[in-house]
Amino acid sequence: MTTRPRLVTDVNYRNGAAAVALFAVMAWTFVTAQFPAPLGFGEGSITATIGYAMFDLLEQVPDGHGETEGFLVAFLVVAVVLDAALDGAVMLARREEDDSVVTALADGGRRALGAGAADESGSDPGDAGSGAAGPDAGDAGTDGGES
Amino acid sequence: MAILSEFYLLLSAAVFSIGLYGILTRSNALVFLMSVELMLNAANINLVAFSFHYGNVTGQVFSLFTMALAAAEVAIGIGIVLVLYRNFEDIDVTKAATMRW
Repeated sequence: MTTRPRLVTDVNYRNGAAAVALFAVMAWTFVTAQFPAPLGFGEGSITATIGYAMFDLLEQVPDGHGETEGFLVAFLVVAVVLDAALDGAVMLARREEDDSVVTALADGGRRALGAGAADESGSDPGDAGSGAAGPDAGDAGTDGGES
Repeated sequence: MAILSEFYLLLSAAVFSIGLYGILTRSNALVFLMSVELMLNAANINLVAFSFHYGNVTGQVFSLFTMALAAAEVAIGIGIVLVLYRNFEDIDVTKAATMRW
């Protein structure tokens, strides 16, 4: 049986009304606000100016838009943050050494029933407390993605 | 002729509200991640719009950094979703009620 995307109906519409109300307030504010005409950019390459500003080389920009500032420190900080995020993602995705499955979860994450049902049915308090569809659900393999 | 800044702000408010709607109504962790991305990109629209409004490219440069931070956030978020699925067999954020299992 194939699956298809279905419209989610168990949605908390009362909370969603808050988002709609926020949009109404913001839209009313923006429509009634008085803005002067946008100045826009003059001649010169905007992309080149962005590149020079990112590396604190604004004195070398040939004919760009000089009204900006250097961002070299921010560039380096973001580079470090991206590196840390990569390390964090790898650390989160790594499995324990005693667990045999180290490859991608090609079966949608559900382990084979013979291997995974024995050790998970009794010793997983998080699963028992939440009432999630555990490995004992027979049709768990056919509702992939629905939660 | 240039588009007035009000319309950029309206677009930004719409995108932000769609993201907020997704966060407030759904309980899927992946939908949460996508909704947070929508809200971050709404802020980017504002940065670029006001950069054009004032004729200053600082907003555009800063929006690039915001995108990089959004990428870092998604990397960590996907890792958290992965761990959530491993431990709870589900990515419903309301099911993960215990911090230690």
